[in-house]
Amino acid sequence: MPKWVLGSPLILFAAIFVAYPVYQGIQTGFYGLSLQNPETLFTGLDNFGTVLTDPGFLAAAKFTVLFAVAVTVVETVLGFGLALLVNRDFPGKKVFFTMLLVPIMVAPALLGVMFRLLLNGDIGLVPAVLRTVGLDVSLFAPNTVVQLLVLLDILQWTPFAFLIMYAGLQSFPTDVLEAAQVDGAGRLRILRSIIAPIMKPIIFAALFLRLIDALRTFDVIYVLTAGGPGTKTTTMSIYIYKTAFESGQFGLAAAASTIVMLVLLPFVPLFVRRIANPDGKAR
Amino acid sequence: MSVKAARLVVALAAGLALVSCAPSTGSKTTGAGGDQGSGSGTVKMVLWPGPEGEAMGKVVEAYNAGQGAKDKIKVEMTLLSRQDTFSKEATLMAAKSSQQDIYFVASYNVGQYANSLDPLTSVDASNYFPVAVNGLKYQDKQYALPLDVSNHFLLYRKDLLDALLAAKSQWPAYAAVASKAIGEKRDPKPAAEWDWNDYIAMAAWFSKSANPSSPTQYGTILQAKNLLYNTMIWDDVLWGQGGSWTTPEGKANLDSPAAVKAVGVYSTIYKNGWTSKDSSQAEFPETQAALKAGKTAFALQWSAGFAELNDKTKSPLVAGKIAIAPVPGQKTHVHALAVALNKYSENKGAATKFLDYLATPDAMTAYAKAGGIPAMPDVLKANMSINPAFGQISESIDKYGYSVPVFPNTFQAYSKIAESLSGAWVGQQDAATALKTANASLQKLLG
Amino acid sequence: MNSRKRRLWGTTVAVGLIAIVVNVPWFNALFVSFKSDGDISRGATVVGTPTTSHYANALGAAGYDFPRFFLNSALIALGAVALVLLIAIPSTYSAIRLGFGGRFIMNASSGLRLLPAIFFAVPYFLLMSNLGLLDTVPGLILANTFLNLPLAIILLSAGFRDVPVEVEEAAKVDGASTYRILGSVLMPILAPSLVAVAVLVFIFSWNDYLFALVLSSSNATPITLGAANFVTSTGIRWGDISATAVLSTLPPVLFAIFAQRYLVSGLSAGAVKG
Repeated sequence: MPKWVLGSPLILFAAIFVAYPVYQGIQTGFYGLSLQNPETLFTGLDNFGTVLTDPGFLAAAKFTVLFAVAVTVVETVLGFGLALLVNRDFPGKKVFFTMLLVPIMVAPALLGVMFRLLLNGDIGLVPAVLRTVGLDVSLFAPNTVVQLLVLLDILQWTPFAFLIMYAGLQSFPTDVLEAAQVDGAGRLRILRSIIAPIMKPIIFAALFLRLIDALRTFDVIYVLTAGGPGTKTTTMSIYIYKTAFESGQFGLAAAASTIVMLVLLPFVPLFVRRIANPDGKAR
Repeated sequence: MSVKAARLVVALAAGLALVSCAPSTGSKTTGAGGDQGSGSGTVKMVLWPGPEGEAMGKVVEAYNAGQGAKDKIKVEMTLLSRQDTFSKEATLMAAKSSQQDIYFVASYNVGQYANSLDPLTSVDASNYFPVAVNGLKYQDKQYALPLDVSNHFLLYRKDLLDALLAAKSQWPAYAAVASKAIGEKRDPKPAAEWDWNDYIAMAAWFSKSANPSSPTQYGTILQAKNLLYNTMIWDDVLWGQGGSWTTPEGKANLDSPAAVKAVGVYSTIYKNGWTSKDSSQAEFPETQAALKAGKTAFALQWSAGFAELNDKTKSPLVAGKIAIAPVPGQKTHVHALAVALNKYSENKGAATKFLDYLATPDAMTAYAKAGGIPAMPDVLKANMSINPAFGQISESIDKYGYSVPVFPNTFQAYSKIAESLSGAWVGQQDAATALKTANASLQKLLG
Repeated sequence: MNSRKRRLWGTTVAVGLIAIVVNVPWFNALFVSFKSDGDISRGATVVGTPTTSHYANALGAAGYDFPRFFLNSALIALGAVALVLLIAIPSTYSAIRLGFGGRFIMNASSGLRLLPAIFFAVPYFLLMSNLGLLDTVPGLILANTFLNLPLAIILLSAGFRDVPVEVEEAAKVDGASTYRILGSVLMPILAPSLVAVAVLVFIFSWNDYLFALVLSSSNATPITLGAANFVTSTGIRWGDISATAVLSTLPPVLFAIFAQRYLVSGLSAGAVKG
């Protein structure tokens, strides 16, 4: 049975390195485990109730969803456009192609620090340049900080969406394209009725991956604003991080993570269906 | 779920059962309380990078070559970044790990960590600042050994303030700016005599927006980011206005007129633009950058920030022009950075020997010489030649230091207060509403 | 110059501009990494006297074992790439074409990726502790494999689905076994997607921070954690951390340059079939 032979590495790995941590993590949510109280008391659904009635959690959930949807849509559209643009043999392609990937090569935690340096009002390059053209702005002012974070996320992650869709374009049957060009189809028509349908799985894959990662956004925002002012830019990951590491409430943090997963899980098949058909039949 | 999926789940469950039964080989995760060990061997210790870690590195080096070699003890130190040190330790503690023998802790989290630590029984406290030792006690037991002390100062441009104090012709203009800022005509005062109204008036005077002839663009920079360390700084304003976290009976007391005034100090300065709007995301590094760039006249800052500002190679624009004064209102937060014994350590005997060594004035003198700020007043006084700020640190802690009560949730309370108030600090939220939220959170955490 | 050529040069300009804009933080880091601490404090437009001392610090002069950190990162990232591909290629193929686990595999992988990394901090610490793999490179390879498998499975699913079934059927008619079809027919067609996955897994493993923080303490410390040593209790050492950021992007860039032969040279499904 080749299907089990080929599947065995995954089963083996998942049995040890997935099942146990997931089980352990979800189980923690049912216990009152905290640093202040290391006795592991079974508390049933208490943690879940506490999280769900915490206005801080609900505010974080709302901000995270809005933020994630906004950046995902923009990044997927820009990434696709960029993939189409790069998908031809122009001079300097190799150099620029690699350069386009550099933003995702800087570790996010480190990139957060680099943004902090770049945007600093006293020693940062961006405010200095803006001042020379007469714009004295404070980039971190509370009324624009959300827009700033969205922009930074787009700068950071559009390359990711680009790479996935560009790679997809490379597997694109060029003969189909040539045939269409011979038929004299316009560029927009080719894009809409030939490229887009064939690329649909990979576009959905890029969109989906960006979305689930954006829903876990943490590093750059944590370094720049730590979720503030107040709770204005607190994402769910920041909320959970603080619950575990600043409050020492590991049980609550596990429960909050589990809730996030359970709420989002029903949406997963909607995307998965569009990325891959499950049962080995032709599309 | 299909049959195939069900089969997969069964396979995963079988694997899970296997792992759960696997014998413990690494650190013990179930043991009730670690082990004394042989009294020798390797002792592992966590510290954070910066002056504390570097100074400790030198002390450890000397120990491993001298006393440690005699006792057959080798200390290995791991440095993590400032914020991650406590995250990593929290993970180790939650896992009841024996990987590290000595943890780095501080007055503000020793209560939270106490359950994972062993109380120290052999500490001679007489050499330390009482406020430092007491801040590391929890339920009357000493849980950690003070290493470094941290407090706040007003760091200000002495050249600019002196010029203002000397130029009497500018005083009427100053009084006019003060009257707009705080509703009261005032003359400028030397920094050591400021109260919080002077702080506001000075912030206005040294800002171009209120005083076009100001030599600096902004009077001050507020550390208003949503960060637990920034609660500690704002606490100085609260205490300076006569407030505190709790009533004498131990009830939460953030819903007080003093607290409203303390939030008002921040929001007045922020809303009027006497600090950069970027202050809403500022903390230690931004404050250093603002003072170094010479575009800001003064700020509240941690004692550790001063040395660098007066270093010609690191701060060419302002070195020699910056001076130290007590925080306005003459109240400063004090905490001790400290080392503590992991309850689950399997080499407690050796670790304790090293901790005893650290408690000696000799070890702390070496620590001071390597760049630390030890919590021993006599050591600080004897080593003023190393860091001119030592004298003032010693005096400030003695005279103006206060400490926040140690309870299991202190660390969380700092975090929650920053979360509740950081919006109000920068005028995003009404002070009274924000303080009500903060007070409710604090009351819940006090238990 | 004909119009086609002109259009291609236009593309060069457009892509070049975008490449520069998204890399402003990196160029800024490069600029700052050659400035002395004093010159950094004087503001962004000050050039001052260039120095290489930050690079010396980022390579070990600051007292941290940076060469070791770089080596650890490289081993962890390469190991994770190999292990992820080894697991993901056969099982995804099996799931997509042979019905192994059906849609469950993909739904489960995606669900896993919905959980914040912090969720796994303590469980993974306990797991690695029980296996005796704390603070080891293999331990971190396994952890990064775990982190990146969902990404690989999702991307490869889309890739396998993109290949027309007729290709396989033709091979089957020729008498090729399932394993041969996967190895000699599908993998060459999917080379661009495989390489894209490899590049992404390399980058994400190279960049991992939280698992490294939890699972390593001294022997297996990667460069991301090493760089964090420049975020100190007395501020951020801007020059040192900038130099580290610049240096730490070089290995992933080299990996991408090595890999881009398969991505850029137009090795497409059409070309193979043709």
